[in-house]
Amino acid sequence: MIQKKICMVGVYGTGKTCLVQQYVQGIFSVKYLSTVGVKIDRKEVKVGDKEVTLMLWDLEGRDGTRDVNQSYVRGAHGIIYVADGTRPETAKQLHDLRRIVTDEVGEVPSVIALNKFDLKDEWRLSADDEEAAGAPGMHKLKTSAKTGEGVEAAFQWLAEKTVNGAEKSR
Amino acid sequence: MTVNFDSAENPGNGAERATEFDRLRELLLGPEQNRIDELSDELHSRELTEDELADKLPEAIALRASRDDQLGRALSPTIETALRESIRRDPQEIATAIFPVLGPAIRKSIAETMASLVRSINNAVEQSLSLQGMRWRVESWRTGIPYPEIVIKHALVYRVEHAFLVHAETGLLLEHVSAPELNLPDADLISSMLSAIQDFVRDSFRPGEGAMLRTFSVGEHTVQVEAGPRALLAVVIRGQAPDEVLEKQQNALETVHLEFASQLADFNGDATAFAPSRPLLEDCLETVLTTSRPKGKTAWLKWVIPLALIVLVLGVLWIRATTRWNRGLDALRAEPGLVVVDASRGWGGWHISGLRDPVAREPEAVLAAAGITPRALDGKWESYLSLNPMLVAARAIRGVDSLRKAIESDRILFSPGSSQLDQTALAKLTSLAVRYRQLEQEAAQASGSVRLELIGRTDPSGTDATNAKLAENRVAAVAGWLESSGISPSRLAHNAIATARPIAVPDSAERARINRSVSFSATFSAISRGSQ
Repeated sequence: MIQKKICMVGVYGTGKTCLVQQYVQGIFSVKYLSTVGVKIDRKEVKVGDKEVTLMLWDLEGRDGTRDVNQSYVRGAHGIIYVADGTRPETAKQLHDLRRIVTDEVGEVPSVIALNKFDLKDEWRLSADDEEAAGAPGMHKLKTSAKTGEGVEAAFQWLAEKTVNGAEKSR
Repeated sequence: MTVNFDSAENPGNGAERATEFDRLRELLLGPEQNRIDELSDELHSRELTEDELADKLPEAIALRASRDDQLGRALSPTIETALRESIRRDPQEIATAIFPVLGPAIRKSIAETMASLVRSINNAVEQSLSLQGMRWRVESWRTGIPYPEIVIKHALVYRVEHAFLVHAETGLLLEHVSAPELNLPDADLISSMLSAIQDFVRDSFRPGEGAMLRTFSVGEHTVQVEAGPRALLAVVIRGQAPDEVLEKQQNALETVHLEFASQLADFNGDATAFAPSRPLLEDCLETVLTTSRPKGKTAWLKWVIPLALIVLVLGVLWIRATTRWNRGLDALRAEPGLVVVDASRGWGGWHISGLRDPVAREPEAVLAAAGITPRALDGKWESYLSLNPMLVAARAIRGVDSLRKAIESDRILFSPGSSQLDQTALAKLTSLAVRYRQLEQEAAQASGSVRLELIGRTDPSGTDATNAKLAENRVAAVAGWLESSGISPSRLAHNAIATARPIAVPDSAERARINRSVSFSATFSAISRGSQ
């Protein structure tokens, strides 16, 4: 059985937790996020003929006073960055978050989820903003917690990247 | 050749001189120089010859092995491949080679299994026999909670229920074991959260380098975490655990770091490499009940009760067998005509010897009548005559019978129309009288008396009247003779039937002949003592 540690980071209120809620199995309540600062869920994915278990560390969203806890990111095999498409500043802040994360784990397979894509009327990200949010090598997709759009694809991409990438580097 | 070393005197010829010097050197040292060049080439370019390698190899291996374990690591894939290949080609070879190791290992494993089986049987016996054990069974039956749960509820000192081996950096679960009947489907989530909580506590309180959350308790559960450089070992304990649990935990964690050093360093999410660590973790699991502790005072109790049961059963069987034996012997002893001289019994059956009157009952029949059938009866009986009145009478009746038959088979024959006793008739009567007297004696011994009926017959020729007269005369002639020989007339009954019930014979001449006769019928009648 292959397990991978995946961290979800993002600014407070970008809908990280809602995004994955119905796609994962977990035993811990949302309360953990505000108390311990992390909630861990499990997501099982198939890569080729291999079963891969993604241990999904949902980190408490960054707000004005509290930063992403670097300890929780340690050893992560992949990262999901979440930004809110209706609040362009959340996409900009991803760069800071990315710096904190890469300081700890280096370059690992990463996905940028531009969330709340179902709110097309309120979508404030320009094509340039979207372009600027990412970095080379990162997989960018638009997601919606409401419709589930892009969620499975994000998991699948990360699972394949972490498993096959790890094999290639061996 | 002249050589001038003074360069100052001939400055213009410097180059020429240097060449000359080289030439000189070549002349003087040429062969040596060449040899040096050859050696130097050899040193730099050559490889070890096979001979030299063979000389150096053992020392080289020993030297490298003493420095680190790289050699072992480098060789192990080759050795594994070689072993696999060898087994594939001829499994018998390897089987023979490892047989001396396998045998003791299997024996040891069986011995340990048996020992643990005996321990668990002892526990079960102890529990099921104790008053407490029965109370718990009743409680289990009453509440519907399984018996093991009840035992744990009442007698648990502590129980190590789960052990998690967690990768320190990622918090991913490497291996997990649980006590029997306990199931933990979300071990991977718990494992990750455990490591997250470690980070949380460390980040929150900043306790300093290497410090960590070692234990925390919830209700009757305690989580005890030991951290190594690359992995954590967390155990979940129910009840109050002694320090031994921690020691076991530390030992297990150290062994994991030692045996799985490279797997831990290269861990990339694939936990299958850690499956062999299960036995190490299982060593940490343990259930200690109060009943598991040796109790000197009551330890003998668990033997006493089965022993008492065995003694009781054997005792009952023994008493039953003895009663049967005594009843059987009594029956044999009470039987007239049987004298038991020696009697013994063993595993093979009963051995009885003694005396037996031929008219007495068979010993088997005596025992059967008493309701006893021994497995095997080995009897040795010598014949004797009993003076027991019953047997005497029985014997006498036998004598009476045979004499009676002898007398009744006799017949006194007469010539036609005659009632004269001829010579043959007289001889027959003489022996008959002797028999009759014997019969009288036997009858007296059997407490009875006899009567002799004389039946007179004639052949059918002549009138009935003459025949009746003739029959009477013939009876009278026989009776007269018998009376004259001393037989009391009162013992003799006259019955002249003439032609009434002839003796049936097919041939008419022969029939006529044997019906011209007097025949006899002896009747034995027992007389009561009162009348004698």
